[in-house]
Amino acid sequence: MNILADRIHLIERLAKGWAIFRQNLLGKIGLTLMIIFALMALASFFTPFLGPTYDPMTGVDPEISHATGPSWRHWLGTDFIGRDIFTQLLEGAKIAFMVGLSAAFISIVLGTIVGMLSGYLGGVMDTLLMRLADMIMVMPSLLILLLLAALFGQLNIWLIVLLIALLRWPGVSRIIRAQTLTLKQRPFIEAAKVAGASHLRIIFRHIMPNVLPLSFLYMTFRVTSAILVEAALAFLGFGDPSQVSWGMMLQWVWKTGHMFQAPYWLLPPGICISLLTLSFYMLGRAMDEVLDPRLRKEEHSG
Amino acid sequence: MADADKKPIVQLNGISKFYKSQTSFFKASTETVTALKDVTLEIPKGEIFGLVGQSGSGKTTMGRLVVKLEDPDEGRILLEGQEINRLKGRALKKFRMKVQMIFQDPYQSLNPHLSIADTIQEPLSIHGIATRQGRRMKVIKSLESVGLSPALDFMNRYPHQLSGGQRQRVAIARAMVLKPEFVVADEPTSMLDATIAIQLFRLILDIRNRFGVTFLFITHNLAAARFLCDRIAVIHHGEIVETGTAEKVIKDPQHDYTRKLISAQPSFTYGGANNSEIGAPEPR
Amino acid sequence: MTLLSVENVCVSYRTKNGVLNAVDDISFGLDEGRSLGFVGESGCGKTTIGMALMGLLPENGSITQGRIIYGGRDLVQLSAEAMRTVRWNEIAMIFQAAMNALNPVHRVHEQIREAILAHHPDTLQADLQQRVEMLFDLVEIPRERMQDYPHQFSGGMKQRAIIAMALACDPKMVIADEPTTALDVIVQDQILQGIKTIQNRMNISVIFISHDIAVVADVCHDIAVMFAGQIVEFGSREEVFETPIHPYTRLLLSSYLTLDGERPEPIAFAAKTPNLITPPSGCRFYEQCPKATQACENDPPEYREISSTHRALCKVVD
Repeated sequence: MNILADRIHLIERLAKGWAIFRQNLLGKIGLTLMIIFALMALASFFTPFLGPTYDPMTGVDPEISHATGPSWRHWLGTDFIGRDIFTQLLEGAKIAFMVGLSAAFISIVLGTIVGMLSGYLGGVMDTLLMRLADMIMVMPSLLILLLLAALFGQLNIWLIVLLIALLRWPGVSRIIRAQTLTLKQRPFIEAAKVAGASHLRIIFRHIMPNVLPLSFLYMTFRVTSAILVEAALAFLGFGDPSQVSWGMMLQWVWKTGHMFQAPYWLLPPGICISLLTLSFYMLGRAMDEVLDPRLRKEEHSG
Repeated sequence: MADADKKPIVQLNGISKFYKSQTSFFKASTETVTALKDVTLEIPKGEIFGLVGQSGSGKTTMGRLVVKLEDPDEGRILLEGQEINRLKGRALKKFRMKVQMIFQDPYQSLNPHLSIADTIQEPLSIHGIATRQGRRMKVIKSLESVGLSPALDFMNRYPHQLSGGQRQRVAIARAMVLKPEFVVADEPTSMLDATIAIQLFRLILDIRNRFGVTFLFITHNLAAARFLCDRIAVIHHGEIVETGTAEKVIKDPQHDYTRKLISAQPSFTYGGANNSEIGAPEPR
Repeated sequence: MTLLSVENVCVSYRTKNGVLNAVDDISFGLDEGRSLGFVGESGCGKTTIGMALMGLLPENGSITQGRIIYGGRDLVQLSAEAMRTVRWNEIAMIFQAAMNALNPVHRVHEQIREAILAHHPDTLQADLQQRVEMLFDLVEIPRERMQDYPHQFSGGMKQRAIIAMALACDPKMVIADEPTTALDVIVQDQILQGIKTIQNRMNISVIFISHDIAVVADVCHDIAVMFAGQIVEFGSREEVFETPIHPYTRLLLSSYLTLDGERPEPIAFAAKTPNLITPPSGCRFYEQCPKATQACENDPPEYREISSTHRALCKVVD
């Protein structure tokens, strides 16, 4: 029966959060955009049904073998070897979501755990972890990734995701640590100590639920940076060549000299990158308002 | 009833506690603040013992030392004759079952994400007491015993759905669920209205009368201490300036500071016990 | 001489759950040089009254009915500009937790000067200096401390500085909302005695708002006991203390812990404020009243005059 009540309470809180979110214009725009892109990503699972000519990587239209503009057969035209650009765009959406969400998720998990441990335990642990965080934060992540790519040849997409996460957790951990430090002083934490709770229990049962909303908020920001980093890597030629991402598309445009000749090829991936990252950013800002009561448009009470 | 018959449950011997505070924003040096200075005290078993002092007197620090939220810098604290300073691990956990605390702020002392039932059953689950079902029964009983009835109504609510007085009852239930022998109540009613405070005092008296729990009642309000406590200690700038039974300390104060506290208590008696009258009531 | 006359004032707040009737049909008078205490627990409306008198209700609050007659004018009808001249010059206020309202980066004496200049911009420097010194003397802060910053003042001294600021423009009336909560008992006593002395010396009227009936009894000539937005009992402090009529007053007094006298028997209930968005049609204390009769549930009570100065909102008790 407790579980049912918990669920109901959770639903109540979600509903309340949604009501606030709904009033936020940025949030609505961001959400709409994100849904559009999510649909695109989903659609990319169905492109195989269109037949082999539409495969983003290998689909070669027997009648076309060079870049062409938009037509009924190819809504956005074809690239330099006759592949359909629209399906490539859809595939790119899928990659962007994959990369963005996975990298963000891993870095948030890492960052939250480190932040909580650091803030709660203090002392030597805190110093060590934060110095490590500082060192990583100072490193130019894109440069490091480029170096690694140059050293090891092509990088697999999941390796890229992992590396992005490993280079990006410090930012989150600082925020979570700060939050943990304030929470640590709250009487209900002391009450748990007095009841005999172990450190681990306090961290995961008492501190984590209070810190998670902040983690989720920062996840949206991590998503944008992950997408941008992957796009940059791909554009510069260091991405995973077996994946058709928007950055990769841009690389092909550039490498094959079609930058100024084929706007139908150049513009879509670029615009998509901008819009998707923008949408996550807007979502993040809207969620900020939901989570931080002080930012809400006032509802006065007596 | 000879005082010597009541054995002390908690003893403080020569307790001192210091804090370092930064003197100013620009200076690197720190100043040492003495929160408690050579405090020696005995709390008899089964009594409600009042510790009365103003803010900065060290009273809250003393409470925290007794429940081992912090450790003293000098001196020893004994629970039933056993020293508690260096308790660790399993022995510390056993200690925690015997000594509990009720905090001052009912709006901060309950985890907002946990239901009332979860909050109260947590100490039981930490110490591995009973099964899930068994714990649930204990929670129901404990809610009923603090006056939150019917218990099933309150079990699944969250702190923000309760009033300050109700939250404080939950805090009391949580403190009592392990059946402790000694409870520190740190200004449990200072954030509540007077009529609610009286109810909680009654609850504490009830708990002491039925279960023989010893209470250390920390307060700044001498009148509340008089109402609730058997014995009172007055603390000022980290030192105990006076101890004795409640009646004696108030009727026959020995220390200057105690006298100051007594005369500062706002009161009204017709005819004016106060020296500075507003002006004799005008006949109308 | 009557300084302030409040007649049938109602104040409500617009909230997302509906209109909250915070203060319902309040009437009282305050004479020159007298002090009146409003006592009640959280949610009774006492702070709202203070804010309404000063014209400082928040955006969603408004006086929906009644008149506040001061100096021959109805303050409710005044424009914002006109109210501004009344505020501080005639009626000053000491807010709750006011000591936190001192600006930490300005010296204390500067802030008092600001308060004077804000309402009398033409004051000469020499007069300003003199006035500030006089105010410090009045509230018994040593003149050497004038140059200090707020953080160098103790809690009690900060509160005295706030009182000095309230008196800066020589008002005829001061509204003090919980001026001594958060202060130690000894400091509280000093502040309260200080307020009484100043009141006597300058013949100022004081409205004192507090949840602590002991504090109110110490300082005020007259007491208004509030519950759920209404004045349930009004009388001199002797009358209210010695012969309380309304059951809520009796409940409040029974919670009044003293250092002498009998240990009070705790009454078996605590007062809960009813929902003020949909207040009950009858007596608001009905749910918890040990003396309630059937008639109390539906018929709103009316004031009974126990003496020319003492009234209670109850039809049952006498």
